[in-house]
Amino acid sequence: MNAETSDAPPTSLVDRTVVPGDTVLDLTAMANQTIKLGAGLRQDCDTISVMKAGKLRLSKPNKYWVESSHKRYVPCVEDTVLGIVVDCKPDNFLVDIKAPTLAFLPVLAFEGGTRRNIPKFEIGTLLYVRVVKANNSMNPELSCMDETGKAAEFGQLKDGYMFETSTGLSRMLLSSPTCPVLEALGKKLSYEIAVGLNGRVWVNASSPSTVILVSNAIMNSESLSGLQQKIMVEKLMQRLQ
Amino acid sequence: MEQRLASTSRMTVNERKFVETALASDLRVDGRRPFDYRRLTIKFGREDGSSEVQLGQTHVIGFVTSQLVQPYRDRPNEGTLSIFTEFSPMADPSFEAGRPGESAIELGRVVDRGLRESKAVDMESLCVVAGKSVWSIRVDLHILDNGGNLIDAANIAALAALLTFRRPECSLGGENGQDIIVHDPEVMEPLTLIIHHLPIAVTFAFFSEGNIMVIDPTHKEEVVMGGRMTATVNSNGDVCAVQKAGGEGVTPNMIMQCLRIASVKAADITSKIKNAVETYNTERTLRKVKRHSSTVTHQVSVPDVITKDKQAENIIRHQEEMIHHEPDRISNCDDEMTVDTRTCIKTEGNSRDSCTDPFVGGPSNWDPYLNKLSSNLVGKSQDLLGPLTIGKEQQEESKSNKMAVENSPEYATISSNSETLGVSGPRQQTDVAKSLKDAVKSKARKKSKASATTR
Repeated sequence: MNAETSDAPPTSLVDRTVVPGDTVLDLTAMANQTIKLGAGLRQDCDTISVMKAGKLRLSKPNKYWVESSHKRYVPCVEDTVLGIVVDCKPDNFLVDIKAPTLAFLPVLAFEGGTRRNIPKFEIGTLLYVRVVKANNSMNPELSCMDETGKAAEFGQLKDGYMFETSTGLSRMLLSSPTCPVLEALGKKLSYEIAVGLNGRVWVNASSPSTVILVSNAIMNSESLSGLQQKIMVEKLMQRLQ
Repeated sequence: MEQRLASTSRMTVNERKFVETALASDLRVDGRRPFDYRRLTIKFGREDGSSEVQLGQTHVIGFVTSQLVQPYRDRPNEGTLSIFTEFSPMADPSFEAGRPGESAIELGRVVDRGLRESKAVDMESLCVVAGKSVWSIRVDLHILDNGGNLIDAANIAALAALLTFRRPECSLGGENGQDIIVHDPEVMEPLTLIIHHLPIAVTFAFFSEGNIMVIDPTHKEEVVMGGRMTATVNSNGDVCAVQKAGGEGVTPNMIMQCLRIASVKAADITSKIKNAVETYNTERTLRKVKRHSSTVTHQVSVPDVITKDKQAENIIRHQEEMIHHEPDRISNCDDEMTVDTRTCIKTEGNSRDSCTDPFVGGPSNWDPYLNKLSSNLVGKSQDLLGPLTIGKEQQEESKSNKMAVENSPEYATISSNSETLGVSGPRQQTDVAKSLKDAVKSKARKKSKASATTR
């Protein structure tokens, strides 16, 4: 069985579910090519095999990785996540981002941040932040600025409602073109939304009923296809009107 | 310190504010109305007395076991009931393995009070020998997932498990009539517990200084709520227990309203539990019926078929062996013939099972073929084969000549029945053999045809 899959062209397993042990690529068939391996793949002499269960993805020309959905988050650099402030220290805030360890947000990592205007976050504040450093051995480090040093929407999120989902659903909500459920909801309702790659979603709207509707629609849309999502949203709207 | 901070679940200030503002407009975060319960599913395991309850995201397992113990001194003729709770760390980050926390003890007490004080389970029927041994019923409740409102879910799990539990039947016996014999469930059907009524726990959560009240709070609502009250009522309208441990104060009007709502909800949940238990009981009786019928038919049918087939098969097998050996036998010397016949007969004897054999030993009464055999043939076969089975060569040589000659025609006549050869034998034998032929005819022919084609 393994021999068959490796004999078939490598793109045949792309966008399909793979499990640990599957052979994805046979390097003897491809010479003088550089292939970049992302998460969940590993090189075993002449073959590339899978380490994590999930969907195999290819970004042309040569990037392969395995995408999976979990309830826990593994921090990666350049990810935008939603964090909750847990404690305030003199040098940094301790922020929970659903990772194995708490993350540090330096007190000065804000646009125009100096020792004089340190923001005062109480415990339980919701922040939209970016991951700057992520190692297995150290606590991750965050920042409320983008690379150029501008604020760019990072910082505290006020009002609204936050709920937790899996990392797979967050990626689906952030995919482009726009996710069908968000598009269908946006046609009838006006709301603002912030999605963290760690599985946290923040929704805000003018009335609580809209917020509740949007959040429940998103939570129900995880296992539905695009068309099913549109139908579900339409049914919800009809029930309310 | 950091580890503990990392592991507890957190609420943001946004969520807190939102839950309260939504409730001000009678909206709950999961889309329910204030007095709606979440979806309730009750499942049962294979063993009697094990239940699994899912109330929304909350997941509880109940398990009932029984044991014979000595009764308490002040209640010598009553059984005992005890509730144990286990808050598994996988249910919530704040649950720790080991000693039960405050909420675990409170849950155990509320469920226990509902069952014991209202005398829902009949204790006196659990007595075996007054003052010496009674049944002790133990209910274990395991929390697998904390989605809020553990008390209600755990109470339903305990009731469902108690309703499906069966304790073994026991009786007094032995030499002095004082020994207690516990009967195996396979031998005597175990008994159900006598449960008079079902006390259902209904939990209310209070917000914003006791003005807003909701039923069946979720985990998030529990973090935000100001106070909680659990009312245990049954479908007859009796209030079995009320628990309000701290929190905000509530007006007496509010409490009366809670009790009225609780009795309505209790009737609804009681019917759900009873339906689930009924389906489980019908499934259980069906399981028992199937098992019994299959063993009975197995015993009756198998021996008849096998022995009849084997007998016919053996006859045919040896017919064919004889047929092959026959030309050689007639031309060869007697010794070889005797050897052949002896070995054939011995193999016959070996291959046949415990069922009796018309050619070796005496006939048995139940064999239908033997009934049709004439006494002549039977007597002759006994004479012929009796000495053969002793196995002494010298004796056999003298007699076996005759036997061999007579045996071969016997087999020959039988072989002629199977239509493979047309060897004729002495008339006597043929006449006698015809009766055997008639008896064996229909099945032997079919079997020989089948075996001929297969071989």
